[in-house]
Order: sequence, then C-alpha cells, then structure tokens
Amino acid sequence: MSEKRFLMGNEILALAARAAGATGMYGYPITPGSEILLWWAKEAGSEKGKKDGMVFVQAEDEIGASFMLLGAVLSGQKAFTATAGPGNVLMQDAFSMCEAMRLPVVAYINQRGGPSTSTVIYSQSEVNLTAFGGNGNGYRIVYAPSNLQELYDYGIKAFNTAWKYRFPTFLLGDGYQAKMMGEVDIYDPHERGVALVPTEKYLLEEKRDRPIDQVVPTPEVHIRNQDGVEYSCYRNCLNLEEETLQVNMEIKHAWDKVAHEIEEHETYGDPHAEILVVAFGIVGAAAKQAIDQAGGKARLFRPITLRPFPAKALRAASKGAKRIIVAESAIGQLSRLVKEELYGVTDAPMVEYHRPSIGISAEEITRLITELPEV
Amino acid sequence: MSHPSAAQLAFPKCVRVESKPHLFCPGCGHPEVLKAFGFAVDELGIQKRLAFGVDIGCSLLAFDFFNIDTIETHHGRTVPVMVGVKRGNPHAISVAYVGDGGAYAIGMGSLLNAAIRNENVFVIVVNNAVYAMTGGQEAPTTLPGTKTITTPYGADNHYVKGPDLIRHLNPTAWVARGITTRQLELRAYMKEALAFVKENRGFAFLEVLSPCTLNWGTIDKPNETFEILEHKMAKVYTLGRF
Amino acid sequence: MDTFKIVICGEGGQGVQSIAKIIAIAAFEQGKKAVYVPYFSTEKRGGVTEAYAQIGDVVPSYPKFEKADLWVVLSQRAVDRIYGFLKDDTHVIVNSYLVKDLSKLGRWHPREIDAGKIAKEEFKKPRVFNMIIMGAMVKLIPGLDRNKFEAALDHVFASKYAKDPSLKELNRKAFEKGYALA
Repeated sequence: MSEKRFLMGNEILALAARAAGATGMYGYPITPGSEILLWWAKEAGSEKGKKDGMVFVQAEDEIGASFMLLGAVLSGQKAFTATAGPGNVLMQDAFSMCEAMRLPVVAYINQRGGPSTSTVIYSQSEVNLTAFGGNGNGYRIVYAPSNLQELYDYGIKAFNTAWKYRFPTFLLGDGYQAKMMGEVDIYDPHERGVALVPTEKYLLEEKRDRPIDQVVPTPEVHIRNQDGVEYSCYRNCLNLEEETLQVNMEIKHAWDKVAHEIEEHETYGDPHAEILVVAFGIVGAAAKQAIDQAGGKARLFRPITLRPFPAKALRAASKGAKRIIVAESAIGQLSRLVKEELYGVTDAPMVEYHRPSIGISAEEITRLITELPEV
Repeated sequence: MSHPSAAQLAFPKCVRVESKPHLFCPGCGHPEVLKAFGFAVDELGIQKRLAFGVDIGCSLLAFDFFNIDTIETHHGRTVPVMVGVKRGNPHAISVAYVGDGGAYAIGMGSLLNAAIRNENVFVIVVNNAVYAMTGGQEAPTTLPGTKTITTPYGADNHYVKGPDLIRHLNPTAWVARGITTRQLELRAYMKEALAFVKENRGFAFLEVLSPCTLNWGTIDKPNETFEILEHKMAKVYTLGRF
Repeated sequence: MDTFKIVICGEGGQGVQSIAKIIAIAAFEQGKKAVYVPYFSTEKRGGVTEAYAQIGDVVPSYPKFEKADLWVVLSQRAVDRIYGFLKDDTHVIVNSYLVKDLSKLGRWHPREIDAGKIAKEEFKKPRVFNMIIMGAMVKLIPGLDRNKFEAALDHVFASKYAKDPSLKELNRKAFEKGYALA
C-alpha cells in the first residue's frame, strides 16, 4: 500500500511511528513539533486506534512526558515522544536515565532556535544536547534526516534500531523539515521487507529471549526466583564508585560492539572534487544543491548518524580534499565532531561556516565553494 | 478485624528474604509501611501483576525489599514513570512509592496532574516531614518552627496537606492518610487502595505519617519519636479517609 | 521545467500560508513536484507572515531560496520584508487594496490587483480575496494547467464544498477573475 502523498513533515513523522508499530505517544505541545501530537491524539481516540491499543497522553510538561515514555518502555510498549528546544532540555533528565538503563526510548526532535526560548523556527543547535545531553557519556543513537522521505524512512528505522540495540534513539530534524510540505512515499515497512523488531518488557515479562542482565548493566539489575516466578528489580542509584564504573564500562562495551553497524552517511558529487563540504540534515540538502550549482568543484559528506559518528567514512572522504567546508546552523556543534575525527588525518584547511539558528541556502554554500580564494 | 498471629505479623510472603535485614535506620517508619503493603499484596494475590516504582530518597532503599518487579526511578519522577508503566501495560497494577519531598516538592507537578487525569495508579507517600536521605533539609511538609539544616532558625508557617489537595483535585479518587503506628489500619488502607487500582477505578493516594528518628534526633528516644509523630504531626495532618 | 520559486508575504490572517500551500498541493495533484514551507513564528495575527513554494519537475529538498521567480505582497509592510527576493526578471503581484506605495517596485512593472475591492464589491464576499490572488499567481507559474488546477482546488476544498455547494462556483469565478487580471 505504497502511496505518494503531499504531507507536512510532522504528519510524516506521526505516520512513521504508526507504521513502525508504535502504540504509545507521550508528549507535550511545543512548536515546531506539535502536529505530531495532534495526529496521535486523533488517531489514538479513533475506533481503529482504540482497537489497536493506541495510547496518547498529553503530559503536564516535558519532564512528565519523558518519564511516562520511560515507564511505557519499561512495560514493553513501543512508544515515543516528540519535542524541540526547551522541551528537549527538560527531557534530558529522563533520557539520561534511559542511557543508564539501556531503555530504547524513541524521540523525534525538531530543532528550533536557541539558546533558551529563542525562536520557534529553526536551528541545528540541539546536536550537543541530543547526542551528549544529560550527565552521562552520550551513548545514544542520533539520526539526522535531510528530507521528507528520510523523515519517514528513519522515523520507522529509529524504532528498530532502538529495540535491536537497546539505546535511546533520536531522530534529529528541525523546524523546516517539521513544517515544510512536500511529496513523500508512505509505505508499509513489511512490504519493503523491513521486519519490525519486537519489544520486550523490562517489568512483568514472562518469557525473555535473552537474560535482562545482558541488556541492563549488571549492577543495576537484581533478579530473584520465588515459586518459579522471576522477579526483576532495577536500581538507578548506586552506592559505590566501582559499581558506577562498571555500569559505564558495560554500556561502553555494548556500544563499541555495535556502533559500526549503526553508523550511516551519504556522499554526493564527484569523488575527485577538491573541496569537501560537510553538512547534515536540511543544510545537507542545501549543500547537495550547491554541489550541483558549483559544477564539479566540490563534493558532500553528510553524516546520517551524528551519533555514532561515521568517523571512518569521514576520514576516507577527507583523503584528497584540499579544503574542507563545514556548514551548520549552529556554532561549532557539527564542526567539533568533524575536527575530533579528522585530527591528525588531514592537513586540509577547514572553513567553518556557522550561522546559528538561521537557515543556510544552497546559494550561500555555492558562494563558499566558488568564491573562496584558491588553496 | 481479628488480631493477627505472631507469624502473620512477622513477614509478608512477597518479601525478599535475601535482602534482609533491610537498609533503613533503626526506628525508621518505612519498614512498617512496606510491611503493610506486602501483607495487602499477599492478601489480594497480586504479586505477579505488580509493578512497584520507588523514588530517590530513602524510598529507594525499597528497591529490592520484595519479590515484586521493581524500578528505582529518579528524583521526583516515580509517579510519571508508573503512569507510563500502566498506560503501556494495562494489565499491570502500578504503584509509586515516594517520600514527601519527591511527592510534594520536586515531583509535585507530575503528582497533581496524575491525580487530575485520574490515572490508574496507586501513589504511596511516606511523610516524615523532612528530606531524610540527603541529611535533613526542609521539606514542604516540615511543620512551622521546626529546625532543619536548611531552616536553622525554624521553618516558616506554610506546609502542604497532600490528601486534602488530591481530594480537591479529584473527587472520585481513593484518598486516605495513615500512620505507621497503626499497622492494621495501614494494611486495610493498602488493601483497599490496591483493590481500587486493580479494578481500574482511577487514582488512589495514601499518605503515611512516618518517623525519621535520625533526622528528628530521636534515634535513642522512642518516647519523643512517638510524641512528634502521634501528637505534633497527626494533629496537623489529620488521619483517616478523605 | 526549472524549479519555479514563489514567495508571498502579507499580514497574518490574510491567508498567505493557505495560498502558498494550496498552490503547492494543487501542483502536486497535477503531477508536478512541489514543496512549501511557511515562515512560522509566534505571531498568528497582527504580524507579517511569509510563505515559500517551489514547483517544477525536480524540486530540491531544501525548502528556501534567495531569489524568487514570483513575488507577491498583500500588504504595504510586506514590501520591505521580502524585497531582497527580487531579481531582474521576477514577476511581481501586489494587492493594490493595501499596497499603495509602489515607488520601490517600478522596474518590475507590478501587476496591481485590487483583490480586496473586487472581493467586496464584485463578489460581495471578502473571503474570496485568496482565490483572486491565487488565480493571478497561477497564470504566471509555468507548467501549471489551469483546468487541472481548478480540479485540484475542488479536491482541496471538497469538504467545504460539500457543506456549502455555492462556494464552489464562487471560488471558481473569483479564481478566474484573478487569472484574467494577471
């Protein structure tokens, strides 16, 4: 039942979660993502939604929404939230706990202006927050789609990744992608051969495929049998530094084992072009246009996962580049990731084009490519 | 109610024997509250359906008190977590176990809104009128004039009455306040409240007045503990169903 | 065809977003590629609002642009707001009901359409203001078939037309009026 439709980004995300088999949405209204809530409110209350056990809760705030989401995931529900800006800030409290306990929450983030309330419109300044927010070490998966079709594709994929690998998983969009309307192919993932990863309860599970202490760090989980029933008790408050060390190292090891499977990127343009443009999300889309406009002078590296960052692929792409341009609607959040991975790998000078909380047009990037003095 | 036998008074069946002796201080009220809860669980035969959430603060020490699926959550976030558990798994009987700080200060927004939405969860608030785990700071329940480490000159005149507030917000909720010194009454409340949420009748809320001998400075003065609990606290925080 | 870029600006409540959105949807419905994005902010009414649409055979994913092929202003203060989008060969439409000062726009030979007056006096329905503007815009967008566009409008407004069938004829006439004026 593949169907070309003309939809707004937020509607596409709402449909993606539904197509991924999610049955729970816990949210709090915030521009530019509120239409995701509206869609779920309507769908969950419909006859079909009720029959399918869909749940929608408009919480008291983003703290409440994110902890409800966490609770729903503990109960084995495929569930998600959607937020932006200051809401993303508040939700870090819950996301941090999800990181600690390996709870596969899914959140669709549509970046808006920052810092603080700022504009409701657009930015790329929630990279640090989404990838590394909280008081942990950033063991979360962050997809950065660059067009409406990818909102749908990665909106579905986020759930599979979350439940397969058991890390909090984010789709990092922005206000432009959330509010723009365009053509999108809406399909049933089964018909594309995409199997949906099943969920498992953390609490009140009767039959587990693998022991829960192979997922949740061992110091945090205490399992006992009584009369043939297994009871799981989880702790989030540890007594000893050594226990906390162990929790962190177990999370790290689990991450290191699978990160390379999760990493994704896209390259575009003539692989021999001497200028390498690095951009993500909607700026990546503008950069693609710029690559076309600049006629073979430049090529694009677009990280699709900002976390884990496709480091190996970026290093390979940097080979032969005489200049690297990093363009982002923030100050140095992307270029910091790029520099970290390219340290010692390339001598090419880097031009950092930072336009915090404002769009970057294809024409701007074209000028960067064509008007900078020759290296 | 007939008087229970000595064996019945000892331990509920759902208690996790391996985790005893428990981690609470001598004279602490938590074990009394948990015992009443455990007996009610046994009587209703719901051990396998329970999801038990405990807050950060002294309540976190209950994380492996029972053979009951338990999640130790985060400061003040137990109510929304247990709301999520129930919403995600309607078959679960979802209980939030929280201190007065977690319920009435850092978690107040979530608590009140769960009551307003009439969520099918049972919230137990253990009220000892102080932040105990963190060393005795003022709580929203600290009574006027009481000296704590953050009210060295005595607390001000304002304090929160949880059950009154919940009743005001939700006319159909199950609401009561008990006290640790009346174990049988507490057990009856626990059973009623658990049956209420088991039948999905909406929000259930029980506050329990409970001593903190350590922070009250009465660890070796049981008479004084009782004096504060039974006379000072219970006088202001009225007992019974609301 | 090359991607055709449209910017429209006016006061909140004038239907700026609806016009751009409907044009994009109608273009999609007749087999074109299209993308629309609002300049959305906290103001709903009482502020200046902008909308961007692109129509063509291959439309890029980036929803904004620097220079427009069709530039439409519905109020006086909109002129300054989107002035920077003008290039040498931009088509300009102004709602002359509210845009009185054309001194900055002379070299683009703006098509002055008094949509407010026509809606009120000729159609006795201020709400068809949008349709008149849309009709004028569609005439200037290459590759859009007028009849197919009107069929798409019928689709977009299907539920409204079901409630009030007279609206369909009214809209159609207003659209055609705008089309003729451009």
